[in-house]
Amino acid sequence: MPARGWITGTGAVSPLGRSSEVFYRRLLAGETAIRPMTAEERGGLQATHVARCDGFTPQPELSPMKARRFDRGSQFAIVACCQAIAEARYDVAQDPESIGIALGTGSAGAGALTEFLRVLLTESPEAAPPFHFPNTVANAPASQVSIELKLYGPNVTVTQKDPSAVNALLFASLAIGSGRARAMIAGGVDEWNPVYALGFDRVSALRGEKRASGIVQGEGAFAILLEEESSARTRGARPLAALAGIGIAGVPTEPYRFAPDPRAMARAMKGALAEAGREADGIGLWFPSRDGVHDMDEAEREAAAEVFGSPPPELAVKLAVGEMAASGGGQLVAACRSLSDPEGPFAASGRPRRALVNSFGAGGNFLAVVLESPETAS
Amino acid sequence: MVVTGLGAVTAIGRRVEEFWANLTEGVCGIRPVSLFDASSYRTQTAAEVSEIPDDFLSPGQRRRMSRADRMGIVAAAEALAASGLDLSREDPTRIGVILGGGTSGLLDSEDFYARHLAGRKARPSRVLNHLPDAITDRIAQHWSLEGIKSTITTACSSSANAMGYAFDAISSGLADVVITGGSDVLARLTYGGFNSLRSVDPEPCRPFDRERRGLSIGEAAGILVFEEAERARRRGAPVQAEFLGYGVTSDAFHMTAPDPSGAAGGRTIRAALASAGVDAERIDYVNAHGTATPQNDSAETAALKDALGERARRIPVSSIKSMIGHCLCASGAIEAVATVLTVREGTVPPTIHYENPDPACDLDYVPNAAREADVRVAMSNSFAFGGNSTVVVFGRA
Repeated sequence: MPARGWITGTGAVSPLGRSSEVFYRRLLAGETAIRPMTAEERGGLQATHVARCDGFTPQPELSPMKARRFDRGSQFAIVACCQAIAEARYDVAQDPESIGIALGTGSAGAGALTEFLRVLLTESPEAAPPFHFPNTVANAPASQVSIELKLYGPNVTVTQKDPSAVNALLFASLAIGSGRARAMIAGGVDEWNPVYALGFDRVSALRGEKRASGIVQGEGAFAILLEEESSARTRGARPLAALAGIGIAGVPTEPYRFAPDPRAMARAMKGALAEAGREADGIGLWFPSRDGVHDMDEAEREAAAEVFGSPPPELAVKLAVGEMAASGGGQLVAACRSLSDPEGPFAASGRPRRALVNSFGAGGNFLAVVLESPETAS
Repeated sequence: MVVTGLGAVTAIGRRVEEFWANLTEGVCGIRPVSLFDASSYRTQTAAEVSEIPDDFLSPGQRRRMSRADRMGIVAAAEALAASGLDLSREDPTRIGVILGGGTSGLLDSEDFYARHLAGRKARPSRVLNHLPDAITDRIAQHWSLEGIKSTITTACSSSANAMGYAFDAISSGLADVVITGGSDVLARLTYGGFNSLRSVDPEPCRPFDRERRGLSIGEAAGILVFEEAERARRRGAPVQAEFLGYGVTSDAFHMTAPDPSGAAGGRTIRAALASAGVDAERIDYVNAHGTATPQNDSAETAALKDALGERARRIPVSSIKSMIGHCLCASGAIEAVATVLTVREGTVPPTIHYENPDPACDLDYVPNAAREADVRVAMSNSFAFGGNSTVVVFGRA
């Protein structure tokens, strides 16, 4: 039962803009949202840079009154998911049980969690504000989306390092393959949080004045709507892309250590290609996982050399929006937009309209995805 | 798909056998909190694990690991030993780890944060322990596994969902064996959080009782080894039970309150029955979510009646949270371990502290004493903040 389905909608709240089209256009133009931290953001960190959704406003998708009920991560997620549903012209109300959601996250709930604990630890447990507690759970954004959009189908949140969003897509594809749902929103959401940043800085994960190798943290939400192909056809949906295969490989290692293992990376990439039934030379655009962790980036170059020989043209999304558990969602959105773009990188290179997305992270967690234009598929 | 190994670390037993003996004896594990000073909280009891039998870990490993990591590793070691798998002869890329998590090692990170807030230098070594995927990576690391790794973070249904993901991963051919379940420990956040919502009973919790006043928080690790059935039979594995299927749905109702009509929970149960390919008449036992909050127990009773009809009145329904507390992100896993044992042994664990019938909870809750029963098919319910609902179904092997 390979991962399959049509992707009929995309949404993005990103450091490069709050729609998937703006995000994609600015990405193609070579822009990056990575900027120096403000003094307030930086506090005592050695890290120097960040990529944030500066000036984000939840309107028009959420009214100001309504938006107040949600924390930042949930606002990101609701806006991105509304965009994906709208682009797909999917009528949720027609059969709410047939559509669900799977989001990956590493930080959802961080704002509520750190604020609740701050009061509990510095004042007293009785002073801790009950309002925050329900939002401390990582599943708050996906669940708020399900409540907002009235999705009755599967509702799952995945946390497995940097590739969490792609892991969520894997769950979503299994939910469709097993008949649990006909459509699944898949993607990721993260909110930047100063206490979490401190933690990552202390374990030497962030690039900064003392470390040239490391990630720059991002934030945002990315969503795609994955649909079972025949029901998508029946309702007359227009596919942006088709999911053709997902590969996954693990390396046994300490949870927050990087495992720069090119063989395992290549195994994930080849796994995705094998499931898609494609050869590496059928890939026209590559989305590397490159994020500024030097030995991981180098291992990925070796893996790409093994898989491709000479790699195809590439788009390095994480260098534009930062690294996070949701970043794979950004790569997926960018891949879908480029596959459906009549101009863009495929037209320029004349290569097959098929993309390989790498989403690799700490703790030896490697996933890869093959997406293709439905015309290329047939 | 079958279950070939079980592991349990709980307040009433640090191995499966001890856990099961105490569960069927109706032993209560809810006691005064010792892991942190609870004197300034509204309540002071929880179901804590007293000592973690982790002698096989080196001092260095123990230092690096959170309490949740160590409990998870101990339960996984027991489950793998019971499964009879010889990992040296297996393809490590075909064995995965899919757990549920959430609170995880937050207790350590709270110490870091408290020192940081007080302007003191905090040791960074365990600051990220509360990120729930750490346990998943550690189990894969400990046994050198290279297959799918994933951690589901849907609060109190996390580990039930993880079993569902494991089932789908094996059914779709992504893995041959998946170590699944979860490990979650007590922390100030969850203890203070449920207290702030006035959802904790100062006395040991009383599921389904008219006088119930909220939950008791617990901690546990429950690990199950899931394996493709044909393969397990071929290698002569000790099959504990069959995993028949699961349902995962969204209440889409409210962030913390269950749908009182039972319609939302009923949808989850029906999805689970459909996945398992059984009808309501074949369900012989329900291991309830049964948190002992006024809202959950009546809504869950309504959901059971909604989905199972008259069958709901004829079968035993019990909440082992009355003994081991609400183990949050590990509750689905540890309750699944109990459900597998119920199917295997033909004994239904009781709901203890049950005294006063509630007209809104009018099913057979197996009050205070275990009971022999011919249980061929059993289901276990997990409901979470956010309206994340999951029901798993096990059958006798």
